[in-house]
Amino acid sequence: MSLETYGWLVLAFPLAGTILIALTWRLLPARAHGVIGTLAIALSFAASVLAFFELESRGEEERQVVAHGWDYAVANGVDATVSILIDPLSMLMMLVVSGVSMLIHLYSVAYMGGDRGYTRFFAYLNFFVFSMLLLVLAANFFLLIVGWAFVGAASYLLISFWYRRRTATQAGIKAFVINVVGDVGLVLGTYFIFTGTGTLDFLATFEEVGSAFSRNDGDLVAGCLLLLVGAFAKSAQVPLHTWLPDAMEGPTPVSALIHAATMVTAGVYLIARMHPLFELAPAAADVGAILGCATMIIAATIGLVVTDLKRVIAYSTMSQIGYMVMAVSSAAYAAGMFHLMTHAFFKALLFMAAGSVIAAMAGTQDLDRMGGFRKVMPFTYASMVIGGLVLSGVPPFAGFFSKDEIIALMFAHEDWHVVLGVLGYVGSLMTAIYTFRMIFRAFWGDPVPEARELEHGHLYHPEHPTNPATGEIEDTDVGFPGPEHHIAEREGPMKIAMGALAVLAIVGGVVQIPKVNESLHHFLEPTFADSRLYEELEASTTLTWIGLIVGATIALLGIAIAYGLWVRQPDRPRMLQQRFAFLHRVFVNKWYFDEAIELLVVRPMAWLGRFASSTFERAVVDGALVGTTSGLVRLGSAAVRRMQTGYLRYYAALLLMGITSLGAYFLISA
Amino acid sequence: MTIHLSILVFWPLLLAVLGGLVPRGVAPLFAVVGSLVPLGYAVIMLIDFDTAARGLQYVTDDAWIDELGIRYTLGVDGLNLWLVALTALLFAASAMWVALRPPVRAKLFAIHFGIAETAVLGAFLAQDLALFVLFFDLMLVPFYFLLGQWGGPERIAAAVKMVVYTLVGSLLMLAAAVATAVLSSPAGELTFSLAELQQNLLGENTQKLLFAAFALAFLIKMPSFPFHGWMPDAYRNMPLPVLAVFSGVVSKVAAYGFLRIALPLFPEAAADWQLILLIIALLSIVYGSVQAYTQTNLRLILGYSSIAQLGFITLGIFALDPEGRGAQGALLQAVNHGLVVAPLFLIVVLLATRTAGSVDIRDMGGIATRAPVLATLFMIVTLATLAMPGSANFVGEFFILLGVFQSKLAVAIIASTGVVLASVYALRMYIRAMHNRPGPTVTSFDLGMRDAIVLVPLVLVILAFAVYPQLALEAGEPAVQAATDAVTR
Repeated sequence: MSLETYGWLVLAFPLAGTILIALTWRLLPARAHGVIGTLAIALSFAASVLAFFELESRGEEERQVVAHGWDYAVANGVDATVSILIDPLSMLMMLVVSGVSMLIHLYSVAYMGGDRGYTRFFAYLNFFVFSMLLLVLAANFFLLIVGWAFVGAASYLLISFWYRRRTATQAGIKAFVINVVGDVGLVLGTYFIFTGTGTLDFLATFEEVGSAFSRNDGDLVAGCLLLLVGAFAKSAQVPLHTWLPDAMEGPTPVSALIHAATMVTAGVYLIARMHPLFELAPAAADVGAILGCATMIIAATIGLVVTDLKRVIAYSTMSQIGYMVMAVSSAAYAAGMFHLMTHAFFKALLFMAAGSVIAAMAGTQDLDRMGGFRKVMPFTYASMVIGGLVLSGVPPFAGFFSKDEIIALMFAHEDWHVVLGVLGYVGSLMTAIYTFRMIFRAFWGDPVPEARELEHGHLYHPEHPTNPATGEIEDTDVGFPGPEHHIAEREGPMKIAMGALAVLAIVGGVVQIPKVNESLHHFLEPTFADSRLYEELEASTTLTWIGLIVGATIALLGIAIAYGLWVRQPDRPRMLQQRFAFLHRVFVNKWYFDEAIELLVVRPMAWLGRFASSTFERAVVDGALVGTTSGLVRLGSAAVRRMQTGYLRYYAALLLMGITSLGAYFLISA
Repeated sequence: MTIHLSILVFWPLLLAVLGGLVPRGVAPLFAVVGSLVPLGYAVIMLIDFDTAARGLQYVTDDAWIDELGIRYTLGVDGLNLWLVALTALLFAASAMWVALRPPVRAKLFAIHFGIAETAVLGAFLAQDLALFVLFFDLMLVPFYFLLGQWGGPERIAAAVKMVVYTLVGSLLMLAAAVATAVLSSPAGELTFSLAELQQNLLGENTQKLLFAAFALAFLIKMPSFPFHGWMPDAYRNMPLPVLAVFSGVVSKVAAYGFLRIALPLFPEAAADWQLILLIIALLSIVYGSVQAYTQTNLRLILGYSSIAQLGFITLGIFALDPEGRGAQGALLQAVNHGLVVAPLFLIVVLLATRTAGSVDIRDMGGIATRAPVLATLFMIVTLATLAMPGSANFVGEFFILLGVFQSKLAVAIIASTGVVLASVYALRMYIRAMHNRPGPTVTSFDLGMRDAIVLVPLVLVILAFAVYPQLALEAGEPAVQAATDAVTR
């Protein structure tokens, strides 16, 4: 089969899975839907792998293939088609997305085993994978926007999965709306670029862009900045990030798949895909790099103080994506994509382990209530530690190579990017601290009642489960996080999925070891062949090695600090909080972004709405305009006033008279 | 010269009258047949229509009132092809819906319903200005009775308000139509034929005046901010299946009127008035969206959201970009809006039966639990309403905003806030009805066969259109281009 066919198959399997699950929701037992869902993604992954070999067998110049499906909206000079682009960049994304999705589906089969919405869950999850693959395979702006919005919708559906919880529905609408802001940014950005180049097709745009725009052309910079709005909303970068922590309301496999491994990295992919545009608009690229760096630092500081287990990982995700955005905005494309890949492995692993802990805690996610799970959940503990070591960048795991390559390339720029590199190390230190803070607090110390209960062999189930955020008694009709979910220690499929990701997280770094094995860099070359900077930007050997040593030292230092603070002297963190009360308040309140948005956007709109309904509608629309009109009519019909008796038939007669008089009007005017 | 269009237009009326002569029990059946035949006709026309050809097809052209130069001319081109199909589809769906839940005085209801379909189809197909005005005003009559007799508690007041307000617009239009014909016809030979009027354009100042009269009539009919004073009462009280077609197609006649009549007959005036109409459209978008976000009555949420959507359509028509992208998007969006708003109003019926009759979202909540099919259909329509990329609604919006972007950049950027606001009000509506904790009076159960038989096909049409909007764009392109060329050339 040809490469094009494989490409379509990669898309077709998850879509078919969704439809099949949806249509057989009552015909087949729920368990079967888990199997169908997982199988569909496995087939999609298989097709990706076959496509990979097919692509590899081609010459370097033939590794950008566009397959045309059908004309979608081709009219009035707009050329929106359904067509897919298979090249090394989309190939890498395809493999990562379908591979990690397959493992998370496998995990979910067991983890979600007791959930009321089992079937619905797999239908949504398959739809998400379809959308994500559509996003990475799109060959033009239009289809990209479609995939972009589809993943947003899937994300919304899954965040609001337990839709009887008000916290979940609120988090869902917030995520959706901020994502729509991103969509609008993407659309307007597309307009700027389309107006210059006259085409929506990626490859044609990249060819045209040089002649359509001059360097740092105002329209191109505006277009690229608007593309960044789209990227930032999707990838939870400051200031469009506030939805991601709230998105942790969704089931944990969703957090692992959508809000860690795949969807939130779409912004990184977008910038890498649009590199010919950003290279011609370096002003926009610089904005991206600086904001990415800012996100990396801000998110890390919040991660240091937040007490919700999943939110710690969520802020960590934001922070790590900050690194990636920084990289791809500074022409370190391969490094950024490399970190995207390794991050998908270890972050999914961390979330899976967290899911296991949360199941043991019967839905509670608060770190303050956790402790001592080390002995009773050895497998979960081991996975968490492996994920933590890789995230912290301890050698020789994958995260070590990928993060330090980004930082080294910042230094290689030899201009103001050096500052970003230094901040990269600061972030790296904080990463190690918050990661191990989380691990020490959840797994070390004295076992909490839930852990002791597990020691005796049963999972803790509260009699009346409550939503920790609101104190509401949970609604058992639809489900909620907690007792209906399972722990890795007892479920084979969960162990397999986590084990596979742990192995990938440990050895995934081999595809790109600086100066030793640069196969990922070479693999991506055809996509970035048109880039001036791709080949030029390279860290010298000395710089690379110094960077690796510094990086390793910082990671170990961070772990040591965490050990000192939360294991050796558990009173110290409180003392630090008191000493740096102001900073602590800022961090705990997440830098007041939510409050600012509330004050600047939500309240004015609500006020406008109230003003419109209570005052404007009554005074102007109904009072002045309707009043004047009906006043005029009344004046005109003063002669027939006596006939207006309020009975419908008289009105009918009046209307008939009116129509007759219309006819008369015709004759007179003629 | 064919008789097909005449059959298409007058078939519903004929069956309605025949239905008046048969026993009460079978009258709704006549209404269904009365609306299914035009649907069949419309589908055949969609297939048979020659997208490559320019100009009108299936033309019927007869002298009618010779002394006044009024001709009975019907014809189809890219501008009205899909709108006719939309009208036939929505009337068929609504007739079916009503037939399965017969109202009191079902025979009379069916007669008004038939007249309404004939009037709307006639307005879409008329190629003579006088004929258009006649059908345009005829539309008001059946809806007046349907609202006034079968409506909610304040039906009489609402009906009078609607009629008085929109009649003022109609009278203005009538006067303007006569003036146009008188002033632009060569001496002694009065004509209302659109094709001929287009050959003899008026002077700019006259155009401006006449254009304003037409525009006002259309804006009131849509309705557009700030001329929507009649809308809240009418929407609160009109029977929901009637509201489905009323909101779905009647407002589109007004939008269509701009493309068919106002732009080609008054091109210079359209260019002069462009900015004002764009501002009205912008205000409609923002005001309608904010109101839709504030209201709690589902009928009004949908009503104000229609104001916002119609704002987008007006925006597209007056983008007046050289490629005609804005108008192309507007035309597509007119079809799209009808396709989503009709099922939404029918869904409101279903929601009301689950909340002891209330249509207020404060009384709802948690309906999704035991109604997964209903929840899925509602979700699909909601996402299409907020123009999620991947829906045909997004294609419409994409073209509209692109057109405006290229002619008036700032307007496009302000209008794009409407896209965000749409997601806020549409999702709020869905969540408050279907998700969260159930309200005290809520009993959740899934939709039955007689609901599904109407709703499922409508949703399937939305999905099919989302997969392949190209069909409508192709048909529309030459005609839209011609309409905007008249102004931009």
